[in-house]
Amino acid sequence: MSIGLLLGLAVLGALLAAPVSHLTGRFCGWALGLLPATLFAGFLSMAGTVAGGEVIGVRLPWAPSLGIDLDFRLDGFSLLFALLITGIGALVVVYSGAYMAEKQPTTRARFLTLILLFMTAMLGAVLSDNLISLFVFWELTSLLSFLLIGFESHSPTARRSAIQSLLVTAGGGLALLAGILLIGATLGSFSLSEAAARSDEILASPWRTWIILFVLLGAFTKSAQYPFYFWLPNAMQAPTPASAYLHSATMVKLGIYLLARFELVLGDAALYREALVAVGSVTMLVAAIQALRATGFKAVLAYSTVASLGILVMLTGLDGEATVVATVGFILAHAFYKAALFFCAGTVIHATGEATLRKLGGVARFLPLTAAAAVLASLSMAGLPPFMGFISKEVLFEAQLASSWDAAPVVVAVLVNAVMVGIAGVVSLRPFFLNRHRTTTVKHGETPGLLFGPLVLALAGLVFSLWPEGVSQYVIAPAASAIRGEPVEVSFKLWHGLTPMLALSVLVIVVGGLILMLWQPIHAGLRGLKRLDRFSGDHGYEWGMRRLDELAEATARSLQHGDLRRYLATIFATVLLLAGLGLAMSGGLALTSQDRLRPEVLGLLIIGLAGGLTAARADSLLTGLVAVGLVGLCIALIFLLNGAPDLALTQFSVEALLVVLLTATLLRLPLEPGIARSEAERRRDGLLAAGFGLLVFLALQSVLSQPLDTRLSDYFAQASYPEAFGRNVVNVILVDFRAMDTFGETAVLGFAAITVWALLRPPAGQKEDGGGQGSSALVLRAMDRIFFVMLGVASLWILLRGHNEPGGGFIGGLVAALGFAIVALAKGVGAARRLLRLHPLGLAGAGLLFALLSGLPGLALHGAFLQHLWFSPVILGVEVKFGTTLFFDIGVYLVVLGSVLAFLFRLYREPAR
Amino acid sequence: MILLLSAAIALLAACGVFLMLSRNLVRLVLGISLLSTAVNLLIFAMGRIGTTVPPLIPPGTQSLAPAAANPLPQALVLTAIVIGFALVAFLAALVLRLYGRFGTLDSREIDAAERLGDPFLEPPRPESPRPAPGRPAAGTPPAEAARHA
Repeated sequence: MSIGLLLGLAVLGALLAAPVSHLTGRFCGWALGLLPATLFAGFLSMAGTVAGGEVIGVRLPWAPSLGIDLDFRLDGFSLLFALLITGIGALVVVYSGAYMAEKQPTTRARFLTLILLFMTAMLGAVLSDNLISLFVFWELTSLLSFLLIGFESHSPTARRSAIQSLLVTAGGGLALLAGILLIGATLGSFSLSEAAARSDEILASPWRTWIILFVLLGAFTKSAQYPFYFWLPNAMQAPTPASAYLHSATMVKLGIYLLARFELVLGDAALYREALVAVGSVTMLVAAIQALRATGFKAVLAYSTVASLGILVMLTGLDGEATVVATVGFILAHAFYKAALFFCAGTVIHATGEATLRKLGGVARFLPLTAAAAVLASLSMAGLPPFMGFISKEVLFEAQLASSWDAAPVVVAVLVNAVMVGIAGVVSLRPFFLNRHRTTTVKHGETPGLLFGPLVLALAGLVFSLWPEGVSQYVIAPAASAIRGEPVEVSFKLWHGLTPMLALSVLVIVVGGLILMLWQPIHAGLRGLKRLDRFSGDHGYEWGMRRLDELAEATARSLQHGDLRRYLATIFATVLLLAGLGLAMSGGLALTSQDRLRPEVLGLLIIGLAGGLTAARADSLLTGLVAVGLVGLCIALIFLLNGAPDLALTQFSVEALLVVLLTATLLRLPLEPGIARSEAERRRDGLLAAGFGLLVFLALQSVLSQPLDTRLSDYFAQASYPEAFGRNVVNVILVDFRAMDTFGETAVLGFAAITVWALLRPPAGQKEDGGGQGSSALVLRAMDRIFFVMLGVASLWILLRGHNEPGGGFIGGLVAALGFAIVALAKGVGAARRLLRLHPLGLAGAGLLFALLSGLPGLALHGAFLQHLWFSPVILGVEVKFGTTLFFDIGVYLVVLGSVLAFLFRLYREPAR
Repeated sequence: MILLLSAAIALLAACGVFLMLSRNLVRLVLGISLLSTAVNLLIFAMGRIGTTVPPLIPPGTQSLAPAAANPLPQALVLTAIVIGFALVAFLAALVLRLYGRFGTLDSREIDAAERLGDPFLEPPRPESPRPAPGRPAAGTPPAEAARHA
């Protein structure tokens, strides 16, 4: 079986989890558990190959041009994680089915889907050799962790914990991404194996310190190291199966996985190992104290998990071959006993409804097998022979003694391990066997689904240590060799003889026994020390979030003041500042050289400017409107005098329509100005406007003093006729070369029409027509039909000739709309609507459809949307050129006509007064 | 000539901006119309002007005469004129609607979106935290939790 197939199976299974769980009902845990179990078997079948030193790989191209591929490879270390993820995953799924037995089927389906998706993401992360894909899967696990912690989404505490864990772990993930990008920039490759092979280049990079910092930040947040550990105890809001899976056995070990993988990359960097040992030791100590203070069953386990993660981080920092073996052994042992303990805690809390450790007692009467599993698991956690925890602890001490470090890590490890022994005793003895009076009833007993997971894991801790050679050969040694990059000899056995490690083990157990006996006073005493709370990162997180809120509040208050005028002034001032800065930094302000003075253009400019200034100064809005219209007409004439008849025609029609529409608008608004700026405000605005004008002037001059790049224009000038059979180059650009842009622009026009139509919908009950008598001017009333027909015919002529002469769909549509405007002016908008018969928005929609369809033949024949086709049929002995561009232009015509009519019919309603 | 044209475009743009900064919403619409006209002329001028020959390929020839005007900015400006027209029509509709709703054209008095209340001062929704199994020792008061939730 290939790993690509296994991963595909995982994705497929996760996607099918919901229907399968609905189909199988109460047995959904067992049914869906088959998926991870199958994957486990698949990975196990590769163990022999991998143990032989082979690396199984598969590469799926993703974005090869960026060096990003889904490059999966299975070596010994990945295999260890893959087996843990799928093996424990199977048990978690079975347990979840039983744990959620009385929940709604949809809730169960959702939970199991998330768990299986998480399993897939986790597999992707530990199998990725490409760092980018590793990052993607890494963040996916953070996201799924967020969803699982917040699974009880109605609880504010759960939501807060979920957001907290997301911010911390996904934030750390972003730091990791930064580190990965720097590595990619240094090596020109995102391959993890290449990074390991070329570690000297990374260590010589100027970004070395940043790379180390970012990678460590990613690992420390994910693996809950001090000061980022606080999210993990809060994450216990998740349903217990998720806690067992994500927050003890797998996801939180991803940081350790990363650190172990980067051992070959960064291991030789100065202070790298020191940082790991220091952070790991501090985390261990803090977590040990918090574990003694915690009151909740799951909280105690969570803090002990943090302590274990601290031990693992410290181990990755120590040097020597033995540390690698210790890391691998401890990952394995911890995953077994901690997941088992979480299962037991979940069953107890679920059955009794009581989560506080002190209020539980004597549960073993009701849950005997769960109690047995808890005892077996805690014996492994306490590191007593013959359990796997004992072996891993022996190797841990051996690694510490063999490393080049002095006694400090050993002292910390002894202390923390002793606390772990005490905690192991507390969580297995107190709720299950002592204080029998505290728990008198349970809501339910044990079911096979609730027992399967804890028993299998607890017994696995025993069985594996009774068969150490096999475990060493197939799991530990290949994993350790993969981390070291060279074959590692592993002597993983139960009895090492009378060694210093054994003496340390005895010491740990004696101190741990004392802690167990004195737990009550120690617990009460530490709880009394409220000051310790201040050192938990949770308070720092709270403080940071509050500051962030305040910052957002202050920013919003100062920027979002509700005064439109100040918003606009801010925008213009910013443009002025930034563009002015850019202009100043670009150096020379060049003015264009003098050229021929054209009196006719100068005259038009003077009239236009007079209009602009009048508009700006006019008190009356009507005067302003007329002045703005005057500017538009002057501009249209300037277009005409500069070889742009198409623009002139467009501008003329638009101005005419604007005057009609805006006059209609003004008639429905109060005409007295009333609202004026103060003198000081006007001066300030004048200054800002003058500054903006100056900027426009300088920008235009600096553009005009540069040589014009005419490549594109030249291409259009050359290709218009031979390729697109049109003599009006402007129209050919619109309907052929840039047809996709034009299509988008007409769509914008349609959207504006829809919005106006909806905004000005008459109140319910009022006649949709708007009615109105129209103008009293006799000439207009008598002639409107004639004007309408003339303009209609003209518009069609303009449309049809547009490809070779000035004109086209835009101008044609505007002219046709003018015809309707005249009818509306003469006889009221109702008459214009009756004349149209159709809904204007329907017209616009039909136009868009027309334009869209005209692009399809090109798509079908040439694979390019809006690539126009040409036919030359011979009609009456004359060869006629005929292309799909015409259909496109008809579409444009209809959209423009429909949209403008929508504006007209809505805006032009007779004033009520 | 082009120097004078630039100055005229700049002045028109300044007039448009001055109108846009007014408190009267109708002036704002007129200002936007004026500014978009000025910008259209600006784009047109950037493609170099001076010739009076339109960009039409004369019958019998295959390509544009060298003296013809630059067709590219014309194509850009043509759609810009129509889009600018649609924008002004849309704004006019918006102003009408606003006047119908608030009875004023003074932009100072139309700030409903900003006055909708202060999101930071709103009391957290009355929602009692349910006793969930396994709540951790470290926790914050429900009000705090709701605030960040």
